[in-house]
Amino acid sequence: MPALTLTHLSRTFANGTAALGDLSATIADGAFVSLVGPSGCGKSTALRIIAGLDEPSAGAIEWQGARPEIGFVFQEPTLMAWASAGRNVALPLELEGVARAAAAAQARTALANVGLAGFEKSLPRELSGGMRMRVSIARALVAEPGALLMDEPFAALDEFTRAKLNDDLLALWTAQRFTTLFVTHSVFESVYLSQRIIVLSGRPGRVVADIANPAPYPRGQAYRTSPEFNAVARDVLAALTEAHG
Amino acid sequence: MKRLIHLILPILLFLALIWFWEWAVGYWQVKKFVLPAPSAIWTALAQEASDLMAGKPGTLFASAFATLQTTLTAFALAAVTGILLAALFASSRLAEAMVAPYTVILQVTPVVAIAPLVLVWVGLDNAWVAVLILAWIVAFFPVLANATAGLKAADPNLRDLFRLYRASRWQTFTRLLIPSSLPYLLTGLKTAGGLALIGAVVAEFAAASGNSGGLAWRILEAGNRLQIAKMFAALILLALMGLALYAILSLIEWLLLRRWHGAVAR
Repeated sequence: MPALTLTHLSRTFANGTAALGDLSATIADGAFVSLVGPSGCGKSTALRIIAGLDEPSAGAIEWQGARPEIGFVFQEPTLMAWASAGRNVALPLELEGVARAAAAAQARTALANVGLAGFEKSLPRELSGGMRMRVSIARALVAEPGALLMDEPFAALDEFTRAKLNDDLLALWTAQRFTTLFVTHSVFESVYLSQRIIVLSGRPGRVVADIANPAPYPRGQAYRTSPEFNAVARDVLAALTEAHG
Repeated sequence: MKRLIHLILPILLFLALIWFWEWAVGYWQVKKFVLPAPSAIWTALAQEASDLMAGKPGTLFASAFATLQTTLTAFALAAVTGILLAALFASSRLAEAMVAPYTVILQVTPVVAIAPLVLVWVGLDNAWVAVLILAWIVAFFPVLANATAGLKAADPNLRDLFRLYRASRWQTFTRLLIPSSLPYLLTGLKTAGGLALIGAVVAEFAAASGNSGGLAWRILEAGNRLQIAKMFAALILLALMGLALYAILSLIEWLLLRRWHGAVAR
């Protein structure tokens, strides 16, 4: 069942820059899909349009049924520096009008789900970069969204932290099955995480390949060096190379 | 240990300078209407204090209190009006485009030049009102400028997040814009505190009227009578008031921001 259908989405900014050329895709309900492409190919723009933070210049977005609650994770943790981790995570609930105590309880659970039990009272500056990103993910998931949109969330993290967060994200997704759109410029990250990789060309971004990755979950560390992983990664790399000559 | 040294060194320098001053005035027989010795200044201050205790009118301390009152009132007015106008600017770009040029004109016109006009408007009998208005004009701008900059300084991604969760304007204002603007606002208030004092004294000079009752008048008066020690005493009181104001505002800033300011937490 499709959760989301994108038809010929494009976006040209007021200054004439054509960021997104043509994006059409049908995203299945509960799928984990990555958008891969070089910098400036409009993948972040596409994500913002899907979230409703930006309007497409042409094309349409159609959700199956009502537009679901959306969780969004930015490249930076984007936390309120003056608020504790607990208050940061509780924000979406509090904005919806959930009572503060109930929101705090749910935030505590969401923090525990990302491995940060007991860190409710910590301020962002007291946490490491990886932990801040975990808080950001907990905030995106606290309202139990139907769709999770992630915009290069792990790009600024070191290799080990990134691999750990990859696995933790997959564990959460396997348990809750929110439809996930994951923007990255890392071919290997996209292959490791996704069921499907949509490859975009350089600006203005167009779909140049749509590659399925049938490997089952959970995908452990061994999968990162397996022949199956390499086969998919080779296809994605080939598509990217072909698009850029 | 290092902190202690940093605390003691300026005090040692101060004591050394005072000692040298006292010694030099005696050694070179400097006339007391050119440069009085520190002991003479201290005597003048003590005399003023005992006059105050005895209930005599027109002491330096009473005048300092009048100036302080003007300063604090002007500062409070500047804080309230500056913040309110900044909030208006933040909620309406049209209002900002319309009003902002006039606030700049008010800022760049020298307050001494406006003083006679304001004085004519409020009447010489109400010189203190003129002084208050002039001090307010001087202190108002840094509050407005910093609060306006602060309200625009919120992380654009956090703004998007608030939009994504359909936050109301009020929610965005209270939960995002105000906290984001706090460091800017407090810098503005610190500047405004000092400027309110400067504005008050400059306005008192410009109003040049005894019934404004402030320290500026006492300084002029003492100068005309060649009571240089009293002039120094007045300057000391002014400096102490300015320092106290700055210290209190810095303390408030520290209390409000110590938990998160300077954080790389984004």
